Amino acid sequence: MPIQVIFEFLLIISLIICAVFALTSKRLLAAVVIYMAYSLVMTVIWVLLQSPDLAITEAAVGAGVTGILFAVTLKKIHALKGTKDE
Amino acid sequence: MVRDIIGLVLIGLGMFMILTAIVGVFKFRYVLNRMHASALCDTLGLLLVIAGLIVILGINAQSLKMMLITVFMWLASPVMSHLIARAEVMTHAHIKDECEEINQCQSK
Amino acid sequence: MASKKHSRFIDWVNGDTAEKVHEYKFIQKTVPPHSEQAHDEVISTRKARLFNISYEISAVLVCVILVAVLLFTVFNLPLFGSAGNPASNEVAERYLEKGLEETGAVNAVAGMILDYRAFDTFGESSVLFIAVGCVMILLMRDKNNISATEDSLEENERLIEIETNDPILQKIVLLIVPCIFLFGIYVILNGHLSPGGGFSGGAIMGAGLILFAVSFGIDAMQSFFSIKTFKAITTTALMCYATLKAYSFFMGANGLETGIPLGTPGAILSSGLILVLDICVGLIVACTMYGFYSLFARGDI
Repeated sequence: MPIQVIFEFLLIISLIICAVFALTSKRLLAAVVIYMAYSLVMTVIWVLLQSPDLAITEAAVGAGVTGILFAVTLKKIHALKGTKDE
Repeated sequence: MVRDIIGLVLIGLGMFMILTAIVGVFKFRYVLNRMHASALCDTLGLLLVIAGLIVILGINAQSLKMMLITVFMWLASPVMSHLIARAEVMTHAHIKDECEEINQCQSK
Repeated sequence: MASKKHSRFIDWVNGDTAEKVHEYKFIQKTVPPHSEQAHDEVISTRKARLFNISYEISAVLVCVILVAVLLFTVFNLPLFGSAGNPASNEVAERYLEKGLEETGAVNAVAGMILDYRAFDTFGESSVLFIAVGCVMILLMRDKNNISATEDSLEENERLIEIETNDPILQKIVLLIVPCIFLFGIYVILNGHLSPGGGFSGGAIMGAGLILFAVSFGIDAMQSFFSIKTFKAITTTALMCYATLKAYSFFMGANGLETGIPLGTPGAILSSGLILVLDICVGLIVACTMYGFYSLFARGDI
């Protein structure tokens, strides 16, 4: 098996793991961070599928702006209370 | 051939640094300790991996872009660590129980 | 770091400790046009009840008929992936073979989304514009109709921003933000030559604007990007896109020469309208990204 195929399999498995844990995570801020990790893995997959246009957009929007918007919304609705390290 | 070996050794060292950072993040329990571990990954690990790639590729346009990536990561990542540590120190109610150095800093 | 100095920030992170003031500074009382009592009277008459029942039955019937028609159409579509369906025989080949000489864009994706299917992209830009409009309707703060609680909260957040701004972050942001903008402009202007284009470059520039707003606060941001600039840039870019593409499509549909030179493929000033349209889309996307953040964070641009 060529090494690129193994790499793609690893990426897809981590993508599925990220998706499942982003849905099932109890803490909302952790879910947002996992979603951003999902976007980064998706960026690498877009590059491997030879569509760098989508990769740039995914990196800027999925991993950057969407995370900020989610965090700001969580702050506004006072959902960040359970995140203190105590 | 020699260049490939040197590059691979550098990349391997970088991978080891990133692995150390990941183990540290899962091993420590407190935010500041975890940050101390994870700062390795963004600075030293990235520098070693990109140095290895530059040694393999030689000096051309691509390796110049990689150097730019290193410069921007070294600018951005320490600032992020500083901000997280600042927020933690400012918002934690019993910060003095966690680390004693804060007392000495405040007394100065 | 004295903990008393930053107690307001701690309260802000923990939420719910802001004292509630139940006095309203400005109150606009408007009586709703249909009061509840009148509504009940209308419902209770027999004619209205009959109308309600027939309305529900006809709504269900319309839904069922629509679903049946759509399902019938779906079963008659060509199979997914079969060689004979119209999506995969001539159109894709034509885009790849004749795209370079017809649009002049080296990047085939840019030639496709901004020349052959430019109305599609126009719809996407309009969707972004409408989304910002909806967020404005829902979240924008009305200066003349605000309670004292909200007013004190807003003042509190402004004080927190002044107290907790960070000199290290500001110095680094002054170094990094021009580089982010340079990269975004490069991605937009090279949209027809290399991967990228309006959406990617606009998203990068919007992220740079958000970074600047986070680190320097509202006042520094509003000195060069207020709601007037936002409205002017988005509407001008959208109107420019619509006018240019309408002209191009109208002339092309009637078989006339548009008079727009295609230039040599590979040069920066080539491929007709694609460069201008890329700039329009990039401006819209950058303004939209910053507008979303700003409206979510403090209900104002």
